[in-house]
Amino acid sequence: MKLEVKEIRKSFGETEILHGVSFHVESGKALGLLGRNGAGKTTTIRILMDVFHPNSGEILLDGAQFVPAKHQIGYLPEERGLYPKRTVIDQMIFLANLRGMKTKDAKVSALKWLKRLEVEEYANRKLETLSKGNQQKVQLAATLVCDPEIVILDEPFSGLDPVNSQILKDVVNELITDKRLVIFSSHQMNYVEEFCDHIAIINQGQVVLSGELKEIKKDYGKNRLVLSADNLKQPELETRISAEYGDLVTVSGRKKDFLILERREGVSSRQIMERLAGSDIEVERFGRYEPSLNDIFVAKVGEEA
Amino acid sequence: MRKFGIVLKYELKEYFSSKAFMVMTILFALAGIILLFLPRVIDMSDFTGVEKPGTQQGDDKQEEAPKEEDMPLMLFLDQAGTVEVSVLEQFFPGTKWQEAADVEELIGAVEDQTAEAGFVVKSAAEYDYYVYNKSMTDSNVPIFDEAMRMFYRIDYCAKHGLDLQEVSAMLEMPIQSDVQILNKDTGSNYWYCYFLVIIVFMLITLYGQMIAVSVTNEKSNRAIEVLVTSTSPNSLLFGKVIAGAIGGLFQTGVILGSILLSYQFNRAQWGGMLDMLFHIPANVLITFAFFGLGGYLFYGFLYGAMGALVSKTEDVSKSSSGLMVVVMVVYFFSLIQLTDVEGPVIKVLSFLPISSYSTMFARIAMGTVAPWEVILSFVILVASIFGAGVLGAKLYRMGTLRYGNPIKLRTALKEIRKK
Repeated sequence: MKLEVKEIRKSFGETEILHGVSFHVESGKALGLLGRNGAGKTTTIRILMDVFHPNSGEILLDGAQFVPAKHQIGYLPEERGLYPKRTVIDQMIFLANLRGMKTKDAKVSALKWLKRLEVEEYANRKLETLSKGNQQKVQLAATLVCDPEIVILDEPFSGLDPVNSQILKDVVNELITDKRLVIFSSHQMNYVEEFCDHIAIINQGQVVLSGELKEIKKDYGKNRLVLSADNLKQPELETRISAEYGDLVTVSGRKKDFLILERREGVSSRQIMERLAGSDIEVERFGRYEPSLNDIFVAKVGEEA
Repeated sequence: MRKFGIVLKYELKEYFSSKAFMVMTILFALAGIILLFLPRVIDMSDFTGVEKPGTQQGDDKQEEAPKEEDMPLMLFLDQAGTVEVSVLEQFFPGTKWQEAADVEELIGAVEDQTAEAGFVVKSAAEYDYYVYNKSMTDSNVPIFDEAMRMFYRIDYCAKHGLDLQEVSAMLEMPIQSDVQILNKDTGSNYWYCYFLVIIVFMLITLYGQMIAVSVTNEKSNRAIEVLVTSTSPNSLLFGKVIAGAIGGLFQTGVILGSILLSYQFNRAQWGGMLDMLFHIPANVLITFAFFGLGGYLFYGFLYGAMGALVSKTEDVSKSSSGLMVVVMVVYFFSLIQLTDVEGPVIKVLSFLPISSYSTMFARIAMGTVAPWEVILSFVILVASIFGAGVLGAKLYRMGTLRYGNPIKLRTALKEIRKK
């Protein structure tokens, strides 16, 4: 399955919120939808789920118009909520029934997911009696109870402690391995980095960067190197590099343990290495720079902001 | 349709698994049953005029005449010279009469409440009545009027040499009549119509509010986003409202059914004295069921829509206040118009969906209605229910994810029209 979002525009009143958002994702892969607060991630997801109608643009699934009601979709909305006064199992069966499952199958599936998320002992308890973290897990179980082919998770890790986050991470990984199509929105870049093959960064209602994460990282790290020295502190090293190696590199960034250098055009890593070898700088670390998603996000959204 | 069934089943479970709902239903039904079985258990013959089963007429129940010192004292001052104490004692049984020396003594006795009341008879046709606190049920004046007429007749007959008994027999010749009602007995049907109008009014206001709160709850607990992405707003709202209707009908049916059946069973023990409330003809009950249910569903959808316009349950009453005013106005108009069921106002009201639920069955119970009028009114009501349902579902959908301040109905309608 290939889901394509093409040139989606959405206005509320006179204000256009989305200015032509496009991205795509395929089964067995996860797309990380990233953006600052108010960037338009949740609006995009709500349009995908047919909660809002776009003013223009289209959503296609395998080339045909995507109609959410015709597919099993597990949707975890940003605004979490179920029925606090009803038992966990009752509402999970209800939601599975609404998504077309028979009651018997729904009960089996509900218990399976509650067990997988380690909250099966609360099956017959009212939701309001559970802790916030467990309520969140129940909500996730309710999202997955219908055995969805498409899973859309809007900020799934918010409110989870590290142990529960690990359980959720494992579940998401299983979904990806199980060839589900996963769309994942989060502020927490480390999780996105862990699961997502593709990302789309939305800023102020438009996609400012999208594509395969590996390629984006490679592209973003191109011509960049890392350097640290045993005998020089970072400010001294930066001064020396700027003064003595300015014909080869520029200092493009600073991390806690190393400097990020950008090669000048036509300069090879070997040339830099040879010059360093002939100097009194005791090189601790020298190599290709691999940017984190966080670096890319800050750089990209910072540029656009 | 299948999803509507799922929502309906889920919502019904909410009502029927609620202990408060079931306990209330059973308690009210039991209270009605106990009350209506009372004449079988305790002697209420003073009230009902029927002896308790198992007790013989007059058995162990000799009327004891009140002792003279226990009788309330009544004073009079006869300035016209016409008053006869024996006549007063006949007109006011169980009272003790004394003549006061003067007006001051009479007023003083009434003021310090040693006398219950006092009458100063100034002439054959004029008297003053003195009482300390005049109660709502005080009927001394009309009775004393009758006594005064009797004094006048006695005096007149004495002066003209006439026989009082003969004159009285002539003046009060007994007339026999046999009333044959060929259509409706408005007088006796009035009270159960009144009773049924109140029942529907209570159903609409109580359950309507519950439906509105139930819709708002889904917004306030944020379940609505999951729901609207799982099924259509029509299924959600129709399921919710119809579940509320079934819940309300079940509760009312159990309570009302218990009362009507208990009364039917004990009607003889009550001497038929509650017929005006509980002895309702089947055709009226059927009409009431159809029109009452129709009106209830009509308002249920509108209440559901009002619930969707707010996101906090405490705002529900604000949002539904306009609707409540309509329900109240219709209620009062319906009650007022019960005394004029052939009038033009109730005829118009009986075709409007906002009021036909009470006025049409009142017309059927108490007046003359052509079958086409009943059918037309019901068709209008059914069409309006669907209209209200679709409008309610649109407002519900429009109100989805609109948190914060309540949405004004006018704004909501404008937005729907735009789409």
